[in-house]
Amino acid sequence: MTVLHIQNLEKQSEDAIIFPAFSLEVAEGQLVAIHSTTNVRSVLLHLLIGKTVISNGEIYIHNEKLSRRKAREHLPFGISFLDEGYYERLTVREHFTFYQRLYGSAHSIDEVLSRVQLESVEHKKGRHLTFSEKKRLKLARLLIEDPDLMVLEEPDQNVDVETKRVLLKIFREQQHKQKSILVLTGNMESAITLTDQVYRLDEKGLEAFEVEEPAQSSEEETQGSDREFDQSQPIQFNKIPTKVNEKIILFDPPEIDYIESHSGQSHLYIMSESFSCVFTLAELEQRLQPYGFFRCHRSYIVNLQKVREVVTWTRNSYSLILDDQKKSEIPLSKSKMAELKGMLGLN
Amino acid sequence: MTYSLRRVYAIFQKDLKDVLKNMFITTSLPVPLVFALIASRDPNPPVEAHFMFINLVLVMITAFLQSAIIAEEKEKNTLRGLMLSPATTLEILNGKSLLTFVFTIVTIMVGAAISGYEPANLWLVAVAFLFSIFFYLALGTLIGLYTKSMMEASVLLMPILLVFGFGTMHRAFIEEYAFLSFTEYFPNIQLLELAENVQTGAGIADVWPALTIILAWSIVMFLLVIIVFKRREIDE
Repeated sequence: MTVLHIQNLEKQSEDAIIFPAFSLEVAEGQLVAIHSTTNVRSVLLHLLIGKTVISNGEIYIHNEKLSRRKAREHLPFGISFLDEGYYERLTVREHFTFYQRLYGSAHSIDEVLSRVQLESVEHKKGRHLTFSEKKRLKLARLLIEDPDLMVLEEPDQNVDVETKRVLLKIFREQQHKQKSILVLTGNMESAITLTDQVYRLDEKGLEAFEVEEPAQSSEEETQGSDREFDQSQPIQFNKIPTKVNEKIILFDPPEIDYIESHSGQSHLYIMSESFSCVFTLAELEQRLQPYGFFRCHRSYIVNLQKVREVVTWTRNSYSLILDDQKKSEIPLSKSKMAELKGMLGLN
Repeated sequence: MTYSLRRVYAIFQKDLKDVLKNMFITTSLPVPLVFALIASRDPNPPVEAHFMFINLVLVMITAFLQSAIIAEEKEKNTLRGLMLSPATTLEILNGKSLLTFVFTIVTIMVGAAISGYEPANLWLVAVAFLFSIFFYLALGTLIGLYTKSMMEASVLLMPILLVFGFGTMHRAFIEEYAFLSFTEYFPNIQLLELAENVQTGAGIADVWPALTIILAWSIVMFLLVIIVFKRREIDE
């Protein structure tokens, strides 16, 4: 059963294409993420809640067309915005009581309190909560409403590890109950960790982002060619060239925190800044392996020297936390976990 | 979408809890009662003394509270969540109006007990009060819909406080400057004159013009609210 069906949705703003026509289906129990820029995300959200008119294309919820009028009256799905508010003077429990009455929900307050792990602060006022607790409070509103489809904008932006764990647990529980979730985010790591299916939406259209690596064979291939590469280069030149506008900047491998590939381009991250690089990820992997770099995901290479922590969210979802300023999180895919353990001498 | 009293009540309860913890509002609520105390010091106060505090209640509580609780939802980004919930805008506004209404009635009754105001014809005065409360509720809603924060709402309320809240004092000006005579038709002055006439023994037959004028004011204000409401997106 399809819960959300977006058909040929398209948006242009004056002369610029924000996104060309795309179609997307979210089935029952499916966790989907759309990775996009803030601008694309807010346009999409406005279309979903009927703030702007859908001029081209259609959105169906449970096979019922979403009209602007209907969306404004009562949204047939749950939504949580990044900048959503809370009542500063009400306690957590009072929030819950209010939401329960407002939505006529059958969920007990204590059950939701424990699901979002706010029991210890249930008598604290909204304004005295920490950022992450507030974030969980906002999530609780959706749990009380309990819609078939939740749309979440940046659910784990700037949250602590506890909240991210809560979020992941709730996502899995919703999936078990055959409920669907659509995450809109600008953070690839969060998209990969939270959901099963990631899309990238930009002015070129909607593009599926493969989360699980296709085959192991390509891996061996690169391992083989690795040695060839070393031999074919008599003079050791180790720096990695990147391009910024017209300039070429060379980086020492140990400077690099991690490398991400998106839109067919690899990006080096150094001191929280991104530099695009002409080499493909496979080529970079070859070059950088001797320096302790590790292909931890189909679209990521990480400098193992910079890894501070390996977080296990669920049995098959992992992240690496780096030791850089931003404490960047990098996804680690399931099959690579075993490889990494081997490298660390853990098994 | 059907109208649900349960949701209206949920919003009423939520706002009640919120308002009682809001220092800005709880400290401004007793201000009109001070004027009731002043009136009570006179052993035989004129009706105008009682209406000093009653008009203040109508502006500072009815209009101000109503606008503040609507504007604050916008300021704190919670209105959008409410609008996207099953609650309709009418239910949201009704829940808030109910709260303001209860606060107004309670303060007027407490104030009247303090100042010792006893209308000669309770029912007639009550009806006039009711019409006036509707006018100020609509005025408060209008301000709430127009402004984006509580601060903005209280600034907008200042001129209204001068005209309607202390308005009964400028009756002296009207006698001096003829061009101000139109202000005699303001709802606050009509309410005062009605109460004065009732106190001297007038019945419905004598005061119906004043009642009609007050009612007309509230109907105009309600129509304004509806027009503004239709034209403006409430959550922007």
